[in-house]
Amino acid sequence: MTRSHAAALTALAAILIACTTAIDSAWSAPFGAPHPLGAMPAPGAMPTFSWMGWIFAEQAAFYRSLSGFIRASKEDGAAMWELFGISFAYGVFHAVGPGHGKAVISSYLVANQETWRRGIVLSFVSAAVQSIVAIIVVAIAAVLLGATAKAIGLTVHLVEITSYAFVILIGLRLLYVKGRGFLIASHELSWHHATDLTFAAVSTVKGLSATTFHLSEGRPRAVAMRGGQCQIDGCTAYAHGFQCDHDHEHHESAWGHAHAPEPAMLAGAGGWRRGLVAVGAVGLRPCSGAIIVLIFALAQDLFWTGVGATLIMGLGTAVTVAAIATLAVSARGLASRVARTRAGLGMLAMRAIEAGAAALIVAFGILLLAGYMASEQLWMFTG
Amino acid sequence: MIKHTCRSCAILLLLLSINRAEAHPHVWVTFHSEVLYAADGTMTGIRHAWTFDDMFSAYALQGIAHAKKGHYTRDELASLAQTNVESLKEYSYFTYARGDGKKLKFSDPVDYWLEYRDATLTLHFTLPLKAPAFAKAIKIEVYDPSIFVDFEFAKDTPVSLSGAPQCQMTYDLPHQPTAAEQSRLSQLDFVPLDPLSTYGEIFANKILVKCP
Repeated sequence: MTRSHAAALTALAAILIACTTAIDSAWSAPFGAPHPLGAMPAPGAMPTFSWMGWIFAEQAAFYRSLSGFIRASKEDGAAMWELFGISFAYGVFHAVGPGHGKAVISSYLVANQETWRRGIVLSFVSAAVQSIVAIIVVAIAAVLLGATAKAIGLTVHLVEITSYAFVILIGLRLLYVKGRGFLIASHELSWHHATDLTFAAVSTVKGLSATTFHLSEGRPRAVAMRGGQCQIDGCTAYAHGFQCDHDHEHHESAWGHAHAPEPAMLAGAGGWRRGLVAVGAVGLRPCSGAIIVLIFALAQDLFWTGVGATLIMGLGTAVTVAAIATLAVSARGLASRVARTRAGLGMLAMRAIEAGAAALIVAFGILLLAGYMASEQLWMFTG
Repeated sequence: MIKHTCRSCAILLLLLSINRAEAHPHVWVTFHSEVLYAADGTMTGIRHAWTFDDMFSAYALQGIAHAKKGHYTRDELASLAQTNVESLKEYSYFTYARGDGKKLKFSDPVDYWLEYRDATLTLHFTLPLKAPAFAKAIKIEVYDPSIFVDFEFAKDTPVSLSGAPQCQMTYDLPHQPTAAEQSRLSQLDFVPLDPLSTYGEIFANKILVKCP
């Protein structure tokens, strides 16, 4: 591992730590240091976010009123429209809470330089997948097979695990691409400041591994191909000293690629497909609330009403997720506009943000899989 | 511009962090509990009756064979009751007891059965103490620390005392968490409570028994 690699990795690690701690503390202590383990915050020191409490209270109220409206719609057709209205509102409020892949989708959009338009479409697709999976699970397990809550809970659990595993895989792929992009960017940055380092670096390399790289045979370019040591690339070992040529525009990078992946490359062919696969993986996990509503409706012989309510709930969820996704995309857009004013470093920062977002997807996936981010559980009573 | 970016990022982080900030219940339980005392003045256990909300009741009843539509007998529900108490073991039956500050341990539930009435299920079960406890002050808390289940005292006769006429019983409702408590709540996933913490009390339903 070369020094610039090490530096790049350190920077990446620092960004990740910053990201995670920021996320960890943003909610709890936006204006203060994170609290020591287990300690209670000082009374009165915290800013109030009671509006969150209000949202949670509202969504609980909406959810609990659903059963009454489902019952009412049995006799009264008009109640069905009220039910659909409540379902939509519940979806909007509910999606603000945990789950529903907001974090994963937003990170995905940031990492992939997606447009807000695509962000909105992907949010809606994800919410639709989520509703449809819930409907399919209940239709097959409950309606066709007459399975028990225990079996349905197990099915949901398995689907969940599959979904989280996919999220981790997608995150890892993205982390590989983006991490590489970041390393290339940091490599290119050091290229521009290479002149000062030339002598020291070359003499080190020469002393340590001259035979390996056949410097004597006049092929120092081999050194550059090892990555990171770009300052040696293109130097010629003349007797009177080293001369580096800086004027080639299309130098090969350490990884044999021309440049960091261009936005167009990622957003181009295959971008849509990959995006849909990603949100499909996120949306695979059905919402527990939807499962319960569907089974409750089924018990009232109103399965189709339940299906309608679930789809409209998904629509409400999509609105919230799309709003947050749009915010994520515009935050990234602003950051990149700022970054553009600072050549080199700005580019590096953007690559770092992307790699960090990709790493966050992996982290979210692992946390979800390990159950640390579980937001809804159904098996406390039914196994 | 930078200010704008910072603001957007802050909002974004806030919204994303909410993602894991708070669990929300999909199960509501209204409960009645009876604290059991033996003739020698020791506490022997607690008898619970937990009524689930109608939607979760329907979910739990899914696929349970029954002879008459809309009716479930105790026998028909026996296997579900078995599943219930077995599943609850992992969650310590959401029941935490202390005798004079010392933790009391429960053994596996006995006398458990389900009752179906008014479209809701009620789970009856008795939690015997591993060893009968003699204590001046017994505190029993019923709550789900992960808040997947919302516990609420029954409106009429939420608690009762059996076999201890000399003792005084009171109960305490959970209070609305303050902003500080709410923020601690959001950190539970990553910063779990240490065993001595009394934090959970804020959303616990407390039963207190004081004996002379």
